[in-house]
Formats: sequence, structure tokens, C-alpha cells
Amino acid sequence: MKTKNRLSDTPMSYRIFTIVVLILLAIFFIFPLYWIITGSFKDNKIIIAQDPQWFPLTPTLANYVKLFDRPALQWLLNIVVICVGAMVLTCLTASLAGYALAKKRFYGRAFLFGMITCAMALPKQVIVIPLLQEMSAIGLHDTLWAVILPTVGWPFGVFLMKQFSETIPGEILEAARVDGASEVRTFCSVVFPMIKPGIGALAIFTFVNTWNDYFMQLIMLNSEAKWTLPLGIARMQGEMSNDFGLIMAGATLAAVPIVAIFIAFQRYFTQGISMGAVKG
Amino acid sequence: MTQRSNAAASKQPPKLSIHQRSRVLARKETLSAYLFLLPSLIFFLGFVVAPMVMCLVYSFFDMGLNMDEATFVGLGNYFEMFQDAIFQKGFLNTVIIVVVAVPTVTAFSLWVSSAIYQMKAFTRSFYRCVFYLPVVTGTVAVTVVWKWMFNPYNGLINQIFDSVGFNWLGNSSTALACIIMILFTTSIGQPIVLYVAALGNVDHSLVEAAQVDGATKFQVFWKVKWPQIMPTTLYILVITTINSFQCFALIQLLTSGGPNHATDTIMYYIFDMAYKYHRFGYANAMGVILAIIIAIFSAVQFKLAKSET
Amino acid sequence: MKKLLALLLALTMTFGMVACGGKDTTDTGNTTEPGTTETNDTANTGDTAEGGETTGDATAITIWTYPIGKFGDRDAVNELIAKFNEVHPEISVTLELLDYTNGDTQVTGAITAGTTPDIIMEGPERLVTNWGAAGKMVDLSDLWTDEVKADIEATSPSVVSACQLDGKYYEYPLCMTTHTMAINYEAFEAAGALQYIDEETRTWTTEDFQNALKALKDAGATPVNGIVYCGGQGGDQGTRALVNNLFSGTYTNAEHTAYTANSPENVEALTLLQTLVNDGLLVADPAAQASDELQQFANGTAAMTFCWNASNKAQYAADVSFTPFAMAFPSDDGVPELCGGIWGFGIFDNGDQARIDAAKTFIQFVCDDETQAAASVQMTGFFPVRASLGNVYAGTETEADADEFLTLMPYLGDYYNVTGGWTEQRTLWFNMLQQAFSGTDAQTAADTFVESANANIK
Repeated sequence: MKTKNRLSDTPMSYRIFTIVVLILLAIFFIFPLYWIITGSFKDNKIIIAQDPQWFPLTPTLANYVKLFDRPALQWLLNIVVICVGAMVLTCLTASLAGYALAKKRFYGRAFLFGMITCAMALPKQVIVIPLLQEMSAIGLHDTLWAVILPTVGWPFGVFLMKQFSETIPGEILEAARVDGASEVRTFCSVVFPMIKPGIGALAIFTFVNTWNDYFMQLIMLNSEAKWTLPLGIARMQGEMSNDFGLIMAGATLAAVPIVAIFIAFQRYFTQGISMGAVKG
Repeated sequence: MTQRSNAAASKQPPKLSIHQRSRVLARKETLSAYLFLLPSLIFFLGFVVAPMVMCLVYSFFDMGLNMDEATFVGLGNYFEMFQDAIFQKGFLNTVIIVVVAVPTVTAFSLWVSSAIYQMKAFTRSFYRCVFYLPVVTGTVAVTVVWKWMFNPYNGLINQIFDSVGFNWLGNSSTALACIIMILFTTSIGQPIVLYVAALGNVDHSLVEAAQVDGATKFQVFWKVKWPQIMPTTLYILVITTINSFQCFALIQLLTSGGPNHATDTIMYYIFDMAYKYHRFGYANAMGVILAIIIAIFSAVQFKLAKSET
Repeated sequence: MKKLLALLLALTMTFGMVACGGKDTTDTGNTTEPGTTETNDTANTGDTAEGGETTGDATAITIWTYPIGKFGDRDAVNELIAKFNEVHPEISVTLELLDYTNGDTQVTGAITAGTTPDIIMEGPERLVTNWGAAGKMVDLSDLWTDEVKADIEATSPSVVSACQLDGKYYEYPLCMTTHTMAINYEAFEAAGALQYIDEETRTWTTEDFQNALKALKDAGATPVNGIVYCGGQGGDQGTRALVNNLFSGTYTNAEHTAYTANSPENVEALTLLQTLVNDGLLVADPAAQASDELQQFANGTAAMTFCWNASNKAQYAADVSFTPFAMAFPSDDGVPELCGGIWGFGIFDNGDQARIDAAKTFIQFVCDDETQAAASVQMTGFFPVRASLGNVYAGTETEADADEFLTLMPYLGDYYNVTGGWTEQRTLWFNMLQQAFSGTDAQTAADTFVESANANIK
């Protein structure tokens, strides 16, 4: 009822304006993906032609044949393993840590929070050289772990989960304590259900950000069998020629599953997430 | 805010309790906190802080490909930076990107979110998905397709505007704007997801109370909703700032910093320094400075956000 | 809720197993790939056992190749490795392919982490100037016997000097080429501009070049005449040769100790190019890379490309619907000096003598083996550095294509890519062009370039 009320408050002209702008923007945002998908069915000659072809009139699967000539499915598996691994580990560690940072008063808390904020600011490209040395020292270089572990260490997740955990009312925690619940029990039965939507959001962000972080993958993974799909796509660009069709086919293969995951899981993290008060 | 002070109050044992007991409690709380933090700290210290410290150390050395032969130069790299014209140009461009992109991304995602969060579930999901598309499509593919559309001779943009031959990315007055535009499309997905959720979570009783009191839509938004979504706004500001500061792949793949350094950013220059010029010490020193600048920006945002709530 | 936590933990563990399992399967996946059956590093012992004829332990080495012709094609290189293993079953070779966009980053990373491959294939500008100078490469002097030296010198003495630094050889070369330009033959024909080129010698003068541009523009044969690309990681040889040849300037001094791109000849050339761009006879594209320019040539937008060689011709063969006609760069005296490309192998010093020896064995097989050497050169699509190999394309189906470039080989100029600060100058050079075509005076732009580039010579 109230929704209707509010909408009718708004002037008709503004509502139309909103809808028109949204539709135009939607086209603007969808178009690159449309161009990628249709491009993947075009012959290279048509792609680079002087006149763009709005729709592949003579669709070809040649780009996909070329793509699967390479271990593209292996790359897809690798990136999924990396993303799922980073996602699960990040959600697990960050929800514990975020809760502790938000709801516990302990020595070194301010220092730790400061360090986390600073570390977030540090560009990955800079720390990647010492990181690489470290990975090769512990023998993980050129394994999928070399990409997963630093991603889990990245403190975005902790920061986000701290924000979510701030919303947990202190009274509930106190009540649990009075009831004699152990810390672990309190976390599992009180805290976890309350921050579940937040964990959902963190999961999808970690998944997508890890997927897109091709620089880390480029530095850490050498053997073609360990490559990931985004890395494989990045490496399809030549010095003297760009096989656009192949890149588009790779991008399509990469985009379709991740869009599907997003659509499938979005309802889990969009209900009832909210962030807590600003504290530092 | 009231919630928080309640929580804080309940944490602190009442004053009448024995002094010793509170110390024991505090120690116990610290211990349990660190146990909760432990898994995260292992990764954080091992794979972020340790290399971070190494970076700081490297930044005091003149270090090339032959890392064993590094020479200690103290603050030499830092002094060099402030005389490096390209660094300054990169700094300026970085600031332009941040100053333009952060408010635009935040304001725009807030506008889109407030427009769509009351729509039917399907429509809402549709738009949320649409604005997230450039993020999930992958940086490389998105940049390749944009570069193709910006092509001066057979790109779609020039076909649409009937301006064949105009070189968007090759013109120093439009190149940076193009980069910011593409950065914008790849940045607003995440904020919209968060804003839609936060707006959906706004306490409706407060909204209704305000409406009963005769508040206008505008007042309801600024006085009731805005404070409640402030924490989300802060998170979005911080994340967008960091992402804009670290904008790199777009520039590497689209313009390589050109034309004539018009799109050089600190981040790209750091990459250039490390991987083309092999000057790791200097690159790390710039990285440290960049991190400090970002940290200051974030701190300012924290302060501003705090004073608003 | 404990259940949920347990579930998460279980997920982590299964994931760990998947990751480890994934590692295993990828390794075995490698073996099943065509051509790699004999060359898997995990199967060393098996290999030696089957090999029978060898004694002692197997040595596993790794080779990284930049995409030089078919050396960028996994199947082709694995075939080569298989042939090597027929003779040397005791050495197993693992291959990784690099690309020019990300390859340098990857090698730099590997050097800092100490995970470099044993063998790497590229040109002296990387092997000698970058990694050799940094002390990362093995001295290959023992491969350079007097016989080899004489054989290569017979082709071009500059190849021999390019592969060494301070008396140490960091590269053992396989092939070379000249970088040329190419014109759209039909477009030139339609514009009546063929009169300005010498089809026999494939040369033209600076004046011919200007006349041809005017004719092309008047006829409107193609949307633009040519694109001076000013960006990217590579393809700089094209624009360098264009500028240097117009008035016979040089890029560096004869001793390769200083850049001379601000000499009067070069500044005159830059000024001419600026005029041509202002008159609409050429287009300067600050954002375009060599690949972008080639693409516009291939689709018929531009009537010429400044970045051409046998490899590019093969690459774009399917995309063009006209005859790309290889040409030397225009020169005021009609005698062009073309930039050369040299490619070969170097060995990273990983401190293991057995692996270094194995790597040398492999290099010698690829470059010197009587039955293999010519085939290896054919894989690159370029020409042998060793005079004794003769015309390796004689009697093959690509003979006609190869002849086109063979005609231009005599114009090979000084190989100055071994000048110090080579990697740095590439970025600076493109930046100089960007400046020169965005209003900066040619002399100023060139001076800035020379000053910065010389500062990097150590």
C-alpha cells in the first residue's frame, strides 16, 4: 500500500523521465556484451571490416573451434576453482574476523583496523613482486594456490563484514552470554544468521573480483595448463594482430557462467543486508 | 548510534564491579577476539603484510633486474619522485579520475538504486543485473570491445555520431574522459547492489512517521533514509576511491598512458617502472606514496561520514 | 547453525582436494596433448627407461618461446620437441608460450622470483640488452665456434655483434628478417601511383613517396593513405625505419653508445611527416598500436602499412582482399636501410650445470642439426642467419612469398637494437611521436627523446 502511495507522490513526468533514462542506460550497458557475443560468431574479416555488421549475417563457429583447440575448458575449471576457493575461504575467515572487529573490545583493535584500512589502499601491482618471491620460496608458484592465498588475505572482506556485523544488537550477544552460550555457539547460532545476507554479498564480490584480477593470475601462473580463462583471453592479444573473434569467443565463454551465477544467487544477498554505524 | 552506545555500555562492566574482575574479562575478551581473528590474520599477515613490508624495504633501494646487486639509496627514490615530471602528470590524472569518478559513481548508483528498489522483484533484478554486466564480462573483454567501438575509422561510436576519423582515444582532450566513462560503467555494479539492499532495509516505521508528519519526499530522503544508508555510502566511497586510484588494466589495454602521458596514472606509471624499466625500488617507492595518498583520502571520508551521522 | 559451519569447512576441504586433484589432472592433461607424450617432466624416469640407449639421469628443461612464426604454435613446437627426443630421449622439454603483450611482465616476474625457464627464444634486444646485461643469462661462447661465426658473418656481421655483449654471447641466433612496409597494390594501381615505385627493386625515393600520397588522396583510393601509429609495446621498428630513411638519418651512432634521433636528417623527416599529416596525406594516430594499423591496412582503410614482414603477411593472408606488396621504406637517395629482426635462443642461468648442458644440446639440435636446422628456420617464416643453409624455402609452397622478402634482405641496415636502454627507448619513442603529432615542434620532441633515452644507457 505504502509503496503505491509513494509512487503516486512522484510527478508523472519524473516517472517517465526515470523510465526512459533507465531503459537508455540499460541499452548502453547491455550493448558491449551484445557486441561481444555476436562478435564471437563473426569471421575475423567481418569484424575488422570498414562497415560494422550489426548482426552476424553469416554466423560461424570457427572462433569457438579455435578456442576449444586450446585448453579453454581447463582454463574455465581453473578459474572456477580459484574463485570458489577464494570465495569460501574469504567468507569463512572474514566473517569471523569482521565480527570480532565490530563487536569485541580488545587490545590492538584500533591498530589492527588501521592496518587493514591501509593495506586495502596498497596497490596489488606493487606488492606482487615480493609476493611472487614468497610464493616461489614456499613452492606454490605456478599453482592455483598462489592466486587464492593472497586473495583471501586481501582485507576487503574483513572490512565489509565488519560493517555488516556492526548492525548486530549488543543486547542479543549479551543475552546469549548470560544464557551461558560459548563463543563458538554464539557465533554460529546468533551472529551467523544475522550476517548471512552480508556473507552472500561478500561471496559474489569476492568471486567476481577474483575472476577479473587477471594481473595476479598473469604473474603467478606460468604453465598453460594452469592458466585461467581471463588470463587466456588477455594473452590472445598479439603484438601484430588481434584475433578479435577468438577473444570474443573466450569472453563469451567466460561471461555466460558468471552472469548465470549472478542471476542464480542474487536473491541470497539482496534481502535484508545493511551496514552498521561508522566507526574507526 | 544509540544501539552502538548501548552495546558499548553493556560491554563495559559496571563501575562497581571489582577492578581485577574487569581485567580478567578484558583479557578473556582479547583472547577470544584473537581466536576469531586468527584464520584471517594468518592470510593477512602472510600474504599481504609481509610483502607490504618488503615493498617498504625495497623502496629504499636502487634495484634493477639483478636484485642481489641492489644499492641502498635511502630516501633517494622518494626525492626523485617529486622531480619526475611524468609522475606529477600521472598524479594529476589520477586525482582527476578520482575526483570525477567517485562522486559520479556514488551519486549515480544511488539514483539508480532509489529508482529501482521499489520496482517489482523481476524488474529490479533485471536492472541490477544489467548494471552489473560490465563487471562480470571481464576487464579484458570489456576494454577490447570498447577499443573496437572507439576505433576512429570503423568504430561504432564514430558511425553513430557520424564523425568518422575522429580519434577519441588518440586525442589528449578526450582520451581521459573516455577512460573515466569506461571506468564508470565497470564501477557502478557493486554500489547499486549494495544500495538497493540498503534502501530496502530502511526502517519503514520511521519513513511512515515522517510522512505522517507531512515531510516531503525530499525531506524523507535526506532526513530519514540518507542517515540510515550512510554506512553503505561510506563503504562505497572507500571502495570506489581505491578502485579509481588503482585504475590500471583499462589504461594498459586502451592507451598505455598516451597520448603524450594524457592518460598516465600513478598506477600505470608504477607498472611501467617495474615491468618495462625494471626499476623495482623506484616503483615500490611510488607504490608506498600512492598507498599513503589513498589512505589519507579514505581517512578523510571516514571523518566526513562520521561527522554526518 | 553448527551444521552450516561444518558444511563450510567441508566445502573448504573438498575444495582443497579439488585444487590438489586439479593440479594432478592438469599435469596428466599435459601428457595427453598431441605431441607432448614424450616430453612430460613428471614422466622423466619412464622416459629414460624406455629410451634404453642412454645412461644416467634424465634432465628436465623448460623452454619459453615468444610467438615467432610457428614458434607461437604449441603443436608445431611440440612436434619439434618430439623430433628432438628421438635423438635425445634423456632430455625432457616442457614448453610454455609467451605473447608480446604480457611476455615481458611474465619474464620479469620469473626473474625476480627465480623461476626462469632454461631456454628462452627471442631477439638480442631482450636476450642480450635486457637479461644478458643484468647477468641473468649463460655465456654461450662455446656454441659460437669459429665455423659458426664465419657462417653467420657471411650473412651479416651485424648478427654476430648483436648477439654479444662485452665479449660474451648471450644469444645463439636461428633466423633473421628485414622489417619492411607494404602497399595495397590495387589501390596504388587505381590511383595511378604505381609509377612512383620500382616494382623490381621494391624501392622508392622520398619524393616518389610524397607524389604517391598525393595521387592516392586525389583518387580517394582508400579512406586514408597511411597511419603513423604512435602507441603500443612493439612494432616500433616500422616508425623508426620510416623516420630514419626519409632523409637517411641514423637512430644511434655507429658504436651504439648514443641515440641520434635528433640529428638534422631525422628532424627534417619528422617535420616532413608533420606536414604530410597536416595536409591530410597521412594520418597520425597516437592511440593506435601496430596491430591496429595493420588491421586498418588489412580491411582496406589504409593504403599502406609501415609494419610488415613475412610473418605479418602470413598472419593477415586470410583477411585481405587485395595484394599486399612489400616495399622498402622511402629514402631520399633511393637506398633504404631496413631494420633487422634477429631471433634465437638464450639460456637463463639457473645454477644447474646439467640443465645448462641439456639446454645447449637442445639449442644445437634446433639450430645446427643437419636435418632440423632448415625446418626450424621454416617454422619462423624468416630467413636463416647461417649462409650455409642457403634458401630454405626453395621448392616449398611458400617460395614465392619468401622471395618477396628475400629481395629486400640486401637492404638490411645496421642492427642497433643492442644499444643500452633499449626497452626504455621504445616507450620514449612512441611518446616522442605522440608529442610531435600533437603540436610539439619536431626538434624539441626529438631532443627530449634523445635526452631521456641516452640517460638510460648504462
